[in-house]
Amino acid sequence: MSKLLILGGGAFLLAIGALVWRSSQAPATERPFEIKNVPPQAAPLCPWREPEADLKRFFPNATRYEVETLILSGSRGELAERLGRIPTGDENALRLYRVFQETELLGCVMTQRVKGEYGAIELVLGLDTRKRICGMRLQRMREPEPVAHALENSEWLGSFTGKDAASAWKIGVDLPEVPTEARVSAEAVVHGARSLLVLLEVGDRETGLASKSPHH
Amino acid sequence: MLLLAFRNLVRRPLRNGLAVGGLAAGVVALVCLLAFGNGYRRGLQTELDRMGLQLMLVPLGCPYDAAARVLKGKTLENSLPEAALEEARRDPAVAVAAPLLMASWPRPGAGRADLWVGLDETALELKPWWHARAGEKWFTSGDSVVLGCDAAEAEMRSPGDLFYSPEAGRKLRVVGVLERSGTSDDNLFFVPLRTAQEMFGQPRRLTAVAIRLRDPARLREAGERLQQIPGAQVVTLTEMMGTFLNLVGAVRTLLLSLALVAISVSVLGVFNTLLAAVVERTNELSVLRALGASRLQVFGLVSTEALLLAVSGTALGLLLAVAFGPGLEHLMKELIPMAPASSLFLPGVATLAPCLGIGLVTSLAAGVYPAWRAGRVQPATALNS
Repeated sequence: MSKLLILGGGAFLLAIGALVWRSSQAPATERPFEIKNVPPQAAPLCPWREPEADLKRFFPNATRYEVETLILSGSRGELAERLGRIPTGDENALRLYRVFQETELLGCVMTQRVKGEYGAIELVLGLDTRKRICGMRLQRMREPEPVAHALENSEWLGSFTGKDAASAWKIGVDLPEVPTEARVSAEAVVHGARSLLVLLEVGDRETGLASKSPHH
Repeated sequence: MLLLAFRNLVRRPLRNGLAVGGLAAGVVALVCLLAFGNGYRRGLQTELDRMGLQLMLVPLGCPYDAAARVLKGKTLENSLPEAALEEARRDPAVAVAAPLLMASWPRPGAGRADLWVGLDETALELKPWWHARAGEKWFTSGDSVVLGCDAAEAEMRSPGDLFYSPEAGRKLRVVGVLERSGTSDDNLFFVPLRTAQEMFGQPRRLTAVAIRLRDPARLREAGERLQQIPGAQVVTLTEMMGTFLNLVGAVRTLLLSLALVAISVSVLGVFNTLLAAVVERTNELSVLRALGASRLQVFGLVSTEALLLAVSGTALGLLLAVAFGPGLEHLMKELIPMAPASSLFLPGVATLAPCLGIGLVTSLAAGVYPAWRAGRVQPATALNS
């Protein structure tokens, strides 16, 4: 009995000692006043801000969508070759929204944040099941009025329709010309749209998801 | 006797396990409540001290709301005349008076608001944690902007880039991106005070003036003088902290009563478990008495069982509290106002010791009646049965 008493007492003292040690390890910080949400360390993912409106615009018959993430980290070599640059860290994964009419796949929607001349520009792309653009919208930007007007021009945005990853994308040749002051931001939009198509093509092939489409 | 008591408990593992679990849950609630209360008070005090402010001049209205909004990087509907800054700077007790003008432009389509802050160079004296991650940490011209690190990431800006405010129609040049501070500064766009006043159509108006005194001991007299400035009112950081702590204290009292209810329920669980064990083992206890065990020895046996339940339940509760407290801290920070960045969960000895004592004493007390009843069992009961 005395052994049990010693063992029990020892275990209890050990537990109390562990608690005291743990309490003395409380982390200290020098940051005053924390904001409510802990900020991420990397640039935040571009959200899809108006799914309902965009679905009506790009896929009027859509009844639902599903979120998918394609992992592309195994294809960085191919991506670098196709994009003509080293893929960024954010491009190791691609988030897309597959759109359905009941069970039939209609296409997908993707978003991308690109560096405009005066601030970030967020694109929303609607793609059909053959991975061709069926609609495009700029959901956020902070460009000056003439630049914003040129970029949001329906003729210019409409010229992206039908493009795929293999299309030619030269502004002024394959896409309508834009005013000089809008050139930098327009290039960023074009580059962002093409990058998304390349990422999707590589990602869909890697994961075999393309075969799920009834239209393929 | 300890071994016998232990074996008695092991015979009913589920029932006794539930009693231990209930006691542990009560102890967890008590530890978390005390630890969070202490951590919040200490964290708030430390951070207000570190800012080096003693006073804020804010527009007329609710002073605590105004001061809290300014400290959290939100805008006010009212503004101060710039004359208030000049008068504050003339006060002999004032070492630093840093003006700021804050404005918010909601961007509903983008699901966010642009938060702009206009500062003059005195702000650097009150923001010692400001360091540039890239470029400069201060403006180089009237059209320059310094971005918080999250704002720069969201807008994909780096030093040298242009930055445009569509609402003000103003083109600015990014001169610096601040290092992450964990404060609301990370999401803000900083511009020179004059630029902000022009952009937002608030010439010679301010949102607030942050004040550091030469001698904090002269807080009261300085506050009384500054209170005379037209259109402004004074909030001391101490008062503001007191208000926060009062608010938190009221909630804490409520939660403390809930924790005590939890402890009471768990103690009743221990009581019920022991009483059931005594009733169930009446014959055994009678045999013990018939074999020569005294009333005191039987009392001691059941009391030892109570002790074992108390020790295991309380120790388990303390361990669980320390293990899961940091996880609960994230939830707490979402719910409480002005959460300090430092850890809120501080389970020091001063917190754990009372919880240990309450857990042990109340559980032992719960065992007194069952033990007394066990001691009253007559040896004849065994012979009769």
